[in-house]
Amino acid sequence: MPLLLGSYAPDLMSKWFVYGIHIGGWDLKASDPVQFHRGWPGVGFTHSLLYGVVIALLFWRLLGSKTWAISFLIGQWAHAITDTGDTVGTMLFFPWTIHIHFGAWAYAGQTGRVTDAAAYFSGLGSVWDAVWIVYGIFSWRVLTRSYFEQHVFTADQFWSRANKYLPMAALLVVYRAAFFYGTSRWIAWTLWAHAVHHYPYDLSWGGPHWVHAAHSKSLSWLQLVGVAAIIAAVAAAAYASRLMFARRGDPRPDAADPQ
Amino acid sequence: MRVPGVIRDRPSKRQLAVFAGYVIAAAVYVTVGVFYTDFLLSVFVGAAYLLLVAWLVPAGVRRVF
Repeated sequence: MPLLLGSYAPDLMSKWFVYGIHIGGWDLKASDPVQFHRGWPGVGFTHSLLYGVVIALLFWRLLGSKTWAISFLIGQWAHAITDTGDTVGTMLFFPWTIHIHFGAWAYAGQTGRVTDAAAYFSGLGSVWDAVWIVYGIFSWRVLTRSYFEQHVFTADQFWSRANKYLPMAALLVVYRAAFFYGTSRWIAWTLWAHAVHHYPYDLSWGGPHWVHAAHSKSLSWLQLVGVAAIIAAVAAAAYASRLMFARRGDPRPDAADPQ
Repeated sequence: MRVPGVIRDRPSKRQLAVFAGYVIAAAVYVTVGVFYTDFLLSVFVGAAYLLLVAWLVPAGVRRVF
């Protein structure tokens, strides 16, 4: 459950304001949807690695659950890193406000919900989703009742608490709902875009090019060096902590020796 | 030659029957969603729909019959 929550967290409170909504006589929409969604000032920090760490630490502190903290972190990081695949990208290393972006598919959130969906399900973003659906199908055992009861139910207290109000059969349906929803909406939007409305597929890098995509500036060499330095520092810290834990956990004098 | 696990460990008949139920539920969800896209926008709506068709309705039917 926390992994799912984390994967939705970056867009949970912001996407409605990007697309805009109509309530009564009021039209609520960000004046600059791209800046609001992914930028600073804006709520673009929700797509950063640091945001995941902060919320995960809050979960750890307030709920006392390492499982919730780490699972939320994995889900939120997966979303933030995946969104670097589009043409706007994310401020992954916020408070450093540069946008990490690979430009594989067009960002078209500013065009509204309908055109954004049509563009997304016509480009490489849709293919990326399909990869995960196929991976999910190959991992079908994780959706079985026995897997849920033995591994998921026992690992996350959310389920035992929910079991006071709902029977196991209902909880199993809720557990399966995320994969059901992700797969079904992918099929539905694809049919809507290509069978009903005949939007053209464009699987070229940065496509579809028929939509007016938003773009971030390319990184300078200096910024690229900075990003590489951060990644190297994190990798070095992870390696050092691994060595430290190996020393603590294994009394043998050669336990920490990587060879 | 070692056969990949995904082919070797096939689902049981009961698991396939459950899967078929979810496929039917998905077909209805997709059909409604294609013509009324608001239905596709929220994971909460998707979960509520699935709870209704995959748990509440079958449970109700079992209780009646």
